[in-house]
Amino acid sequence: MRNISLIIRRVWKSAFMFTALSVLIVSGTQAQDPVEGRKIFKEKCTSCHALDRDLIGPALQKIVPTKSEAFLLRWINNAPAFIASGDKEAVEASKFNPNADMTAFPSLTPEQIKSILAYVKVGEPKKAEVAGAAKGSDEVSNFSIVGVIAVILISIIVLVILARAIKMLERLILKKQGVEIEEDEEKASMVAGIGQLFKNKKFVFFVILCLVISLGSFGWMGMWNTGVATGYQPTQPIKFSHELHAGVNQIDCQYCHAGAFESKNATIPSLNVCMNCHKQVQARDSHDGNISPEIQKIYNALGYDADKMTYDKSKEKPIEWVRVHNLQDFAYFNHSQHVVVAADAIRKEKGLKPNEPVCFACHGPVNTMEEIYQYSPLTMKWCINCHKDTKLEVKDNAFYTKIIEAHEKIKKGEKITPAALGGIECGKCHY
Amino acid sequence: MESNKKYWKGLEEFNKTSDFVENNKNEFAEPLPIEDVLNEAGLSTVTPRRDFLKALGFGLGAVTLAACQPAPIHKSIPYLVKPEEVIPGIPNYYVSSYNGQSVLVKTREGRPIKIEPNPNAGLFNCGTDAQAQASVLDLYDVSKLKAPVLKNDETTWTKVDAFVTAELAKAKASGKKIRIVSSSVYSPSTKSVVADFTAAYPSTKHIQYDAVSYTGIIKANENSFGKAVVPKYNFDKADLIVSFAADFLGTWISGEEFTAQYVSNRNNKSLAKGKMSRHFQFEAGMSLTGTNADTRVPIKLSEQGPALITLYNAITGGNLAGGSLPKNATAEKALKLVAKELTQQKGKALVVCGSNDVSTQILVNAINSAIGSYGTTIDLDNPNKRYAGNDAEFAEFLNEMNRGEVAAVFFLDSNPAYDVTNVKSFTDGLSKVPLKVSFSDRKDETSTLCDVIAINQNYLESWGDANSYEGSYSIIQPTINPVFNSRQAEQSLLIWSNAPVKDYYQYVRNNWEKNILPALGKNWNELLQTGVFASAPKAAGSYSFKLSLDAVAPSVLKSSAALAKDIELQVYESIAMRDGSHANNAFLQELPDPVSKVTWDNYIALAPKFAESQGLKEFDVVDVKGSNGYTISLPVLIQPGQAVGTASIALGYGRAKAGKAGDNVGKNAYPFASFSNGTLQYATTITISKTGSTYELAQTQTHHSFEGRNIIREASFKEYVKNPFAGTGKHEEGHKTYDLWDKYEKPGNNWVMAIDLNACTGCGSCIVACNVENNIPVVGRDEVRRRREMHWIRIDRYYSFEEGDKSVSEEKEIAHLENLDRVTVVHQPMLCQHCDHAPCETVCPVLATTHSSDGLNHMAYNRCVGTRYCANNCPYKVRRFNWFNYWNDSRFDNYLNNEFTQLVLNPDVTTRSRGVMEKCSMCIQRIQAGKLTAKMEKRPLKDGDIKMACQQACSANAIIFGDGNDPESEVSKALRSERVYYVLEEINTQPGVGYMTKIRNTDSLPTVQA
Repeated sequence: MRNISLIIRRVWKSAFMFTALSVLIVSGTQAQDPVEGRKIFKEKCTSCHALDRDLIGPALQKIVPTKSEAFLLRWINNAPAFIASGDKEAVEASKFNPNADMTAFPSLTPEQIKSILAYVKVGEPKKAEVAGAAKGSDEVSNFSIVGVIAVILISIIVLVILARAIKMLERLILKKQGVEIEEDEEKASMVAGIGQLFKNKKFVFFVILCLVISLGSFGWMGMWNTGVATGYQPTQPIKFSHELHAGVNQIDCQYCHAGAFESKNATIPSLNVCMNCHKQVQARDSHDGNISPEIQKIYNALGYDADKMTYDKSKEKPIEWVRVHNLQDFAYFNHSQHVVVAADAIRKEKGLKPNEPVCFACHGPVNTMEEIYQYSPLTMKWCINCHKDTKLEVKDNAFYTKIIEAHEKIKKGEKITPAALGGIECGKCHY
Repeated sequence: MESNKKYWKGLEEFNKTSDFVENNKNEFAEPLPIEDVLNEAGLSTVTPRRDFLKALGFGLGAVTLAACQPAPIHKSIPYLVKPEEVIPGIPNYYVSSYNGQSVLVKTREGRPIKIEPNPNAGLFNCGTDAQAQASVLDLYDVSKLKAPVLKNDETTWTKVDAFVTAELAKAKASGKKIRIVSSSVYSPSTKSVVADFTAAYPSTKHIQYDAVSYTGIIKANENSFGKAVVPKYNFDKADLIVSFAADFLGTWISGEEFTAQYVSNRNNKSLAKGKMSRHFQFEAGMSLTGTNADTRVPIKLSEQGPALITLYNAITGGNLAGGSLPKNATAEKALKLVAKELTQQKGKALVVCGSNDVSTQILVNAINSAIGSYGTTIDLDNPNKRYAGNDAEFAEFLNEMNRGEVAAVFFLDSNPAYDVTNVKSFTDGLSKVPLKVSFSDRKDETSTLCDVIAINQNYLESWGDANSYEGSYSIIQPTINPVFNSRQAEQSLLIWSNAPVKDYYQYVRNNWEKNILPALGKNWNELLQTGVFASAPKAAGSYSFKLSLDAVAPSVLKSSAALAKDIELQVYESIAMRDGSHANNAFLQELPDPVSKVTWDNYIALAPKFAESQGLKEFDVVDVKGSNGYTISLPVLIQPGQAVGTASIALGYGRAKAGKAGDNVGKNAYPFASFSNGTLQYATTITISKTGSTYELAQTQTHHSFEGRNIIREASFKEYVKNPFAGTGKHEEGHKTYDLWDKYEKPGNNWVMAIDLNACTGCGSCIVACNVENNIPVVGRDEVRRRREMHWIRIDRYYSFEEGDKSVSEEKEIAHLENLDRVTVVHQPMLCQHCDHAPCETVCPVLATTHSSDGLNHMAYNRCVGTRYCANNCPYKVRRFNWFNYWNDSRFDNYLNNEFTQLVLNPDVTTRSRGVMEKCSMCIQRIQAGKLTAKMEKRPLKDGDIKMACQQACSANAIIFGDGNDPESEVSKALRSERVYYVLEEINTQPGVGYMTKIRNTDSLPTVQA
């Protein structure tokens, strides 16, 4: 169900984005294009500026209307040079933040700067629409469930009606042939028939056999899946979206999970990593100018005051994430072994596309997961199958040279898998 | 030529006691209660069908309900701000130093979990001792105080500081004495802090005393050569070593360093060059060093003085009175031989003596001077700085206190209420002191008597430094934030003396940058990287002894004569407990004594024939009454090799306030020592009387039987030179062998090990290293008695006996031995042999133990169902069964049963659960980690990349590990040695661990032709 609702939600979201953007495009009849401006703004300006509040630089919607376009063009194009030229207004403007000068953007054409200014004037698309859209998408997912149930109910009713109709017709045909049917008799005979049926040893045996087989296979499947937590998706203290970060924003897995490439632990990023971006990125646009409550949770954990931009150590409180992938204590797994040493082999084996990180091999399409869930079963069978099937890609790794040579002497021509080099021996993971 | 000399694990086996024979039949001490079930009552017991069904139904229901719990939620809590250098899952190493040994501290996610020797240590480039290995557990000791204590209540530092400074002001105003009492301080910064404190309070005096004192040597050198130092001994330069009761491989001065030096002349490399040193030991009790000696001669304590005089006379041709041993012909004969060899080996010989008597040490100085040791084997110009205790000053301090002259006293790293000889004099005196401050980290014997306990930090939380030898410095740096509200003692002293720099880190750094680093031409950051700096050692001058011995010899004879009555007792430091300051360390308590193999207790050791003459049997409890009236009751341990008429008792036991693990383990033997002739004497006379009760000591040795198989191979040096294969049992034509099993292919690596029996001294630091690395539980005294100790590596000690010039080869000859004096000892480290044809693998019904393609015998704990067939079938008896969840069971409260101590666990090794078998894994976590590092760096694995925990800790380099498929690896070279044999190779288990024969430099090893 989650997959379906995810898909529907995604379809809705992209549809909404498309409409919102086309509205912007349509409204942008001026020469300067606020859509283009928004894009450049997001790329180049957000690290120091916000539209409606002071960051490192001043709030643009307040400051821009007070300046002439000519001034702004020169200022944005190359502020340091402008200040150095001794222009009074420029020197005055540089006093907003004595610690940081406005960066020069000589690569921006005047048209592009004008686009930015146009975007600053128009501002973000209205919040009401966003809220409405979000609500809509929720309704849709509810609707889809109700709809499916309704369809099933209707089809059952249709079936029942059809069955009645067939019976009526049969009876009519029988009547026509002159066979008399007594309603009461029919009922009695049915009860008796059922009684008779249960006296039939073959039938009873058959029913019991069916029961045993179905219960047995149900139990068997249940046992096999005991402790297997594929799809485990606990509620996390922060609604962190991998879809947004890894998918939309294309942030590399390593940026946050740096340990995966060096250590056995992939590591959950410490909050200073979050703050690299979220000191600026506060998603105020989508929360009526307030900081997103989820981002606020990061600030709370660190004791960070977003307005004063100060940290209060006494208010620190670590975030308790819920572990999604729980490998047993007695099984040793090392991330770096797999994502550094064996990356090529795993990519080939799992058929990953060149733009997909090797992590997807086991963690699934993380870039589409709104909330993270366990994609692979993490059973020993699953580990071993991969170790048996994957062909090693170790041509440029001098570690393997001797070992492969020795191996080739004994088992010439056989596929070299981790298993062939002892990768499925108990002690390699259990110690 | 094969020796068929007989080896015995202990006297139980030797005498075939009925208990031993009975126990020997069974793999496990307590057999399954099969007979209880099969006896009549058991068979006729009727379990009614209904009851059975009820129980079954209830069980099923309960299990189902219990299983219905939702899966436990695991939290994952990242750092708020991650320290740059920490990557979870990757260890960081920091240099530090412990007891003068330069070490690397391995930390994981900010917690220290293992101590390793510092490979850059240069001069100190040896392993680490058992104490250093175990010290990491002291950090996680639950018995420590969590905040400073003022008048018995936990309080804050502000209150402590206010109280102490006010009291100090009063003391200063009164003009009375202030005393800082500590064990020897060899840290330049601490010395400087004490000097600053003295400047602020001029009536202060720093009194250094060591529970086990070396004042005798210091005073003797001052007397003989005008240098009040403990010299640097060079055992590596000595071809002939004569030791009079100095346990220099174990506890004497600097055991690990001496071990490395000593072994360098006796190990495989030296033997291959045809060189081996010779070592005579004259002593009363059987020490670790004595077990390693080529020739060990038991002498009574009262005979030590005359023996030294005899030796002196024989070497110099002098005729000091008293130079004869009328009652010990063997010793006298041996001394003549030794004297002859010493004069031949001038400049290449060394005589050491364990006595703390000044006159005795002066006599030893005279002997060493006569054989030209100064400038070669003894270096007085680069002295050892680790011991500076002055017994006389401490004795005077006790008098000062009792006279009420002391206004304030500070106890730093010292616990006099436990280890002084006269506790009453100490406590009486202390009660007259107005301000009493202890820097102990717990409420121990002394700190409970103090007003203030200014809790000090563990060395892993501290800044500090050490100056172990002249010109050689090492640093102590913290590896974890202080766990409790503790403060370094030095910082407390700085605050109380209102010094300008109160932060001790800054103080140490200033001190180094001002006084030490400029001379060495190094900077602070380099120091923090390498940990050790040494300036070029001064040239060792040659000194000659010119004084007259006229007064010395009578003094020596007088103290010897005083011991010649009743039973002569020596109290000594045991290898595991040392002076008792780490008595709360469960790893050390469970480390078997290298000779007696006793854990968790001390005992009175008596010679077999002597005990018999006294009507005593092993484990009889006796009352031991010292000449000063001090009495304790201890169990008797029968110790072959103990001189007849003498007894030995280990110090370091009987702590009353050490903590959960160490309280009331054994009895305190310090009061047997006495203060005479200006120094502490560790020999006295006792009388013993039987109490009638018995007490079973928890010994590990007899727990495993080899059924008399020939597993020790030994040869004399002469035979070895003639034929390097001597003693290995190898014959010229090979045997034809037949295999029941398929051959294992080992295409990649083949992990093997070589153990040099001639290098192994049996000290046991590998055992502790293995315990820490592999999360091996401590099981406690009762479980050891039940033969359930968990050590993956043990060191077996074997006795063999000689009579005349024959070694005893038949068990029945034993009864005819005069006494059991002429005992020789071999230590053999025993661990899983990783057999290619492993008997354990064949019998495991669930394939929990299997063979790997790199020559290891794997053990999958999660697969094991605990049938114990493997342990039963293992001919080496190296498999250990988990009878309990030792880390989560209130019955084993002295070790891991709390979350704090569990922080010491190695996160890369599973903690085993109850009901599974375990054994040496050949540190597979280290093998895998070493391989992964090489893979990540895309380079072939180098020899030496991977080191076993036991190998690292070994100062003697007796254990070599590596890839047997690489012909150039150290281990391959070692295993090509002629001396190599495999234990029980005749049963074709094809072990992966090769041993090298024990070689003794005796004239010839008596053998009996088969």
